[in-house]
Formats: sequence, structure tokens, C-alpha cells
Amino acid sequence: MEQLWLYLYFPQLQLDTLFTASKDNCDEYAVIIVDPSNHNICQVNEVATTSGIQKGMSLGAATLLSHQLQVLPYQSETEVNKLYEIADLLYLVTSDIAIDKPNGLFLRIHNMLNLYDNLEAYWQSIKNQLSPLALSYSYATGHSPLAARLLAKRGVNNILSEHHVLKNAVANSPLTCLEFDDKTQQKLTRVGIKTARDLMQIPLQDLAKRFDIILVNYLGRLTGEFKHPMTFYHPPESFDRYLELLYDIEDTQRITAPIKHLLKKLETFLKVRDRLTQQLDMTFYQRDIDIPIKFTVGSEQGEYLTDYWLELTALKLENIQLEAAVFAIQLTVHQTFVRSPEKNDLFEGKKGATSLLQLVSRLQAKLGEEAIRTPVMKDDFRPEIIASYDSPLASEQTLESNIQPYAIRPSFLLEAPQPLLEKVSLILGPERVDSGWWENQSLTRDYFVARTSKGQWYWVFRTPESQWYLHGVFS
Amino acid sequence: MNTTLHELESKRLIWKARQTSEPYNACMKGFEELDENLNGGLPEQGVIDIHSPLGIGELRLILPYLRERLYSQSLNNPDDKQTQRHSLVFIAPPMRVNSEMLAEFKLVLSKVLVIHPSSSQEALWAAEQCLKSGCCKAVLLWHKQLEIHQVKRLQLAAQKGDAINILFRQTQESELSLPVSLSLSLSPHEQGLKVEITKQKGHWPKPAFSVNMSKHWPELTVKQRPNNVLPFPVARVS
Repeated sequence: MEQLWLYLYFPQLQLDTLFTASKDNCDEYAVIIVDPSNHNICQVNEVATTSGIQKGMSLGAATLLSHQLQVLPYQSETEVNKLYEIADLLYLVTSDIAIDKPNGLFLRIHNMLNLYDNLEAYWQSIKNQLSPLALSYSYATGHSPLAARLLAKRGVNNILSEHHVLKNAVANSPLTCLEFDDKTQQKLTRVGIKTARDLMQIPLQDLAKRFDIILVNYLGRLTGEFKHPMTFYHPPESFDRYLELLYDIEDTQRITAPIKHLLKKLETFLKVRDRLTQQLDMTFYQRDIDIPIKFTVGSEQGEYLTDYWLELTALKLENIQLEAAVFAIQLTVHQTFVRSPEKNDLFEGKKGATSLLQLVSRLQAKLGEEAIRTPVMKDDFRPEIIASYDSPLASEQTLESNIQPYAIRPSFLLEAPQPLLEKVSLILGPERVDSGWWENQSLTRDYFVARTSKGQWYWVFRTPESQWYLHGVFS
Repeated sequence: MNTTLHELESKRLIWKARQTSEPYNACMKGFEELDENLNGGLPEQGVIDIHSPLGIGELRLILPYLRERLYSQSLNNPDDKQTQRHSLVFIAPPMRVNSEMLAEFKLVLSKVLVIHPSSSQEALWAAEQCLKSGCCKAVLLWHKQLEIHQVKRLQLAAQKGDAINILFRQTQESELSLPVSLSLSLSPHEQGLKVEITKQKGHWPKPAFSVNMSKHWPELTVKQRPNNVLPFPVARVS
């Protein structure tokens, strides 16, 4: 099978990555990205271009052209992160993707054409996948990975499969497009080589005598004689996104917009895998404060929908105080699980839209996890220990054997028994509880049901020292 | 048409006899006396306001009814009366809820939630969320003062989720009439409770009556002196 590669080149990836709440907002300012090593402009937005700023200009020249200029340092990390995100999205339609840091992607096409009848259909599905990202990119196919990259960076924007046409296009490329350092380029021009064709006409053996091995390697890979080694991308199991905000946000209300943006990405991540998650880890990076705010949002049931998670996050945010402006948000999801549909009564219909698990998650998000409890029964005889609380819906264990049908128990217990101060008349009892001698919590009590003169029903006990305590109330 | 009269009517300042609100769907599984005097039983949804001192049996009065609601059968499986399908929520109970009592009364503990909110606003918010969720059939709320608009919100939430909200309040002082479905005032009685219906939607007021709990809780009633015991005669010297 003839090899065919596609290269996607994103010339202004960092600029496109910057989050802006609305598109109009972004268009107001001239934004440029400057390479910190030589202070030259490497990415320019539309507004900046109209005021005359171009790539390769120095920062000083740009400030003279426009007085309202937003200058950001170039960060290859941001671009690489975005690149992985794009690869993740493209992985849905194509199998072999290699990341070319910091701003390109290699796609191996020839083995995908069996699936997509022809090249046109394949390219269409790639384009559909890219369009929601609203990125600017150039592309080209090539008979070798490096040929595709060369043509894409030249901005050829061709989707072709005929090898002779592609080879011709590569050969016509001027020498400056080939990825040689200045010294090699000078050497080549001095011997009269102006295009790639001139270079290719010389046999490799001869080239190897006069030039270094880097040039020979490159040329071999460009023509497809040598193999270009690459590792293909495998999508990660966990979700981790970092979003740098264009503006610092100090208000928890306004921060929901970028969070929604992140949650939407999470939704697509989970949806294509048909998975759900129970916990989000959110991190707010604050300006001038080294310790970021970290919090988790939990849902007992497991969800993937943006709106649902946004609601829970908004509830959680109500209790969070921002000390300084937030400049970046990170969303991490470590554990996901396969979605299994919930069983519902078809004929009854759904009266409320939420399930018990969803309700618990919502309550926990607002009131804190400690505020929601569920009563449990422990295997013991001491009233304080039998009746305790646990985190909600922890486990379904009702000790049937432990229920004493003859005993009568109060509906409410005091946290700790209190001395009995009222005059009561004993109605029922005694019931002796003598337990715990094996773990230094020994207690001997005679429990009685008592009634006060006001008609209240108390659960009282007498210690061996004949002291009376109130322990519960029969409501 | 008389404009003043029309104006008053539009402001809802005039009550007409035909405006009586619809009686609610009643659930008949509580105490006999209660069902009878309430013309069928406690309402299936809405807000019930209970004024009562703590510990006289206010919870026991509604427990049979609650169990009936929580175990209410599904339409496609009418024989399944064994599983509890709905949840019960306690919000801000005055003391710790005793799981032993709930288990004794055959309530599934894992379907019971106890919420300890830190403020009364949070308590009301939690109650509203639980009511309208549709998975909790009963929400018991201990709360001090409530305003009309708050009760209205709870009432709407209860309608949405087909749930019942029971308010327990210890204050006895008279206050504004709240838009609840049913309002009861309880006082202790040797055989159970004395119940006074302060308000019932769609019905006329009734005299107070007593509910005998000796069938359900014989231990928690004062033993009645047998009829044939006569007080010991005291000699009188004239």
C-alpha cells in the first residue's frame, strides 16, 4: 500500500486556546504573543493585524503601531496541552495520530482509507471534528510524514493522494522551507542549490560526502527513503484540563462561565466513552498566592451532563471565598465507570426528576458532607452504640437479628445521658443493660419508661449507684 | 358591575362560599379516630403543621401513616408491599434519631436521611430540595418560625414531588394562619393524644378528640383502672 500522510499545522494555537467569554470581547483588543527568547512576535490576532502588526516584528515596533496591546509570553506548554486535546478529539475518527510538538499533528491516512471509501470522505470527517474548536490551521498530505509537514507549513492546503503530484510539490519548495539551520542553508546556496529539487537530484551518497548526516537524514525522510520514527497517540483514561483565563476573575459568579466550558469538554470526554464520573477535582490558581484553591464536587450517582455538574459546582462555589483573582482553572477527573441505565417505573412516570443519589449529592454540595447522615444499627447492646449515624447510603445492612421485637425504644436519643431533673412516674421496666465489660466501656443500667406530669414520655435509667439519668424521648 | 366590589374581589379581599378549596386526597391507614375525624385521613401531599410539645407521641401519631406512604405500591407490581420504595428525611431533629426505633417499625434505615443544616435558611432549602426531588415521600422538618411565602414554597415543592412535608413546632402562641393543608395541635392524654384540628383544607372546624394509641403502643399508655374497682369508702362522722 502506498504511504500517505496528513499533517495539520496550527500556527497560532496559543492565541486560539485563550479562553474568551464571548467572541466579540476578544475582537476588541489587539493580542500578540511574544517569544520570550528574542522578543519577536510569533502570534497575532485579527485586530492586531489590521493595525499593521505582523509576525516577526519586534515588540517595540508593535507597541508603536497599537497603543491598546495585550502582550502575552509564548508558552509551548499551553500549545502542547491543546494539541493533546485536539488529538483526543480526532482519535474518534482516525486511528494513528502522532503529536509533533509544539503545534502540529501527523495523521497516517493510508490505512484509514479502507474505512472511509475515499480521501474526500476522510478529510470531511476530520474537518467536522475540528470545526467546533474554531482553530486556524493549515494542512497538506504527503507521501512521507516530513513531506506532509513541509507542505502544510507552506500553507498548501491540499488533500491529494497521487504520489507524483505530491513529490513534485515537495520538489518545487524553495530551500528556505526545508528545515535546515542557517549555516547549512548558506552552504547550499553557495553551491547553487535553490529548491528542494536541486538537492534531490544529487545522489544521497554524494551529499553524504559533502554535508553532515543531519541533512542526509532529513532528505531521506523527506523523500520517503528513510523511515521517520514516531510514537502514536493513545488517549488517556483520565480527564485533566487546564484552562488559562484571558482576564482575572475575582467573582465566584462570573467564574461559572469558564467552568461550564471545561465541563462541556468533560461531557464529550465521558459521552464518547459512555462513562460517568462521581467526582470532579477543581483547582483555582490565584494571582499572587502560591497555594491554589482545591475542592472536589461529588455526585453519588455519577453523571456526565454539563448542566448537572454545573449546578453542583455552583452550589459548592457559594461556600468558597476567593482571596485573590483567579487566572487559571484546572479540572481533573480520575475515576470513571461504565454507565448502566437506571431502572424506572414506566407506568408511574417520573414525578420529580432526581433520584435519591442525585438528591444526596446536591444536598452535600451545598450543606457539606458532614451535614447529611443516615442512621445505622450496630451489633451491640449499648444504646449509644447501636444507634449511630453513618455517611448516607453507605451500605445496606440492617441487622434483622438485632432488632428486639419485645423492646420498646425511644424515637430520639440525647447525645449523652443527662441527670434526670424532673419528677416522673415509672410506667414500664426495668430492662437491664449490662455490657461492654470487655472494652473498658462497661455499663450497667436499668432502663425504665417514665411519664412526666406534663405527659411527656421519657426513657430513663438508673445506675447501680442509684443515680437517675434521662437518655431518650418517645416522640 | 360595581367597580369597588370588583376591585375588592380582584384583590382577593372577598371570600365567596363557592371558593372553598378542593379537599385533598386522603390516605387512610393511620389511627381510626384520626382518619374518622379528618374525613378520611391525613393528606397524601402538601404541608402538615403540627404544634406539639416534645415527647408526647407526636411522631407516633404519624408513623403508621408514614409507613403506608413509604411502602406505597407501584402500579406495575401491586403485590409488592414488602419493599420500601421511598425515602424519609429528618431535617434538624431536636435530638439524635434512634435507628433502633426506626428498624423496629420496619423502616429501611438506608432509605432514611438525617440532615443537620447550620441555619434555618439551609433547613428550608434542604426541605424544598427533598420535597421536589420525587424520591422522598415524606420530609419531617423541625422549625421554629415560618412565614407565609416559605410555606407556600414548601407546598409547591411537595406538589411537584408528590410528597408530604410535616412541620413540627413547639410554639403554642397563635400566629398568622399559614397556607398549610392541615394544621393540628396536640396535647398529652393518658391513652394517647388529644388532637385539635386547627385548620383543614376544604372542611369545617371540628371539636377536639382523643386518639387511642394503646393498640399500637400498649407500653406507652397509662393503664386504665378497671371499672369494677371502687374507691375505698371513707367513714364520715356527722
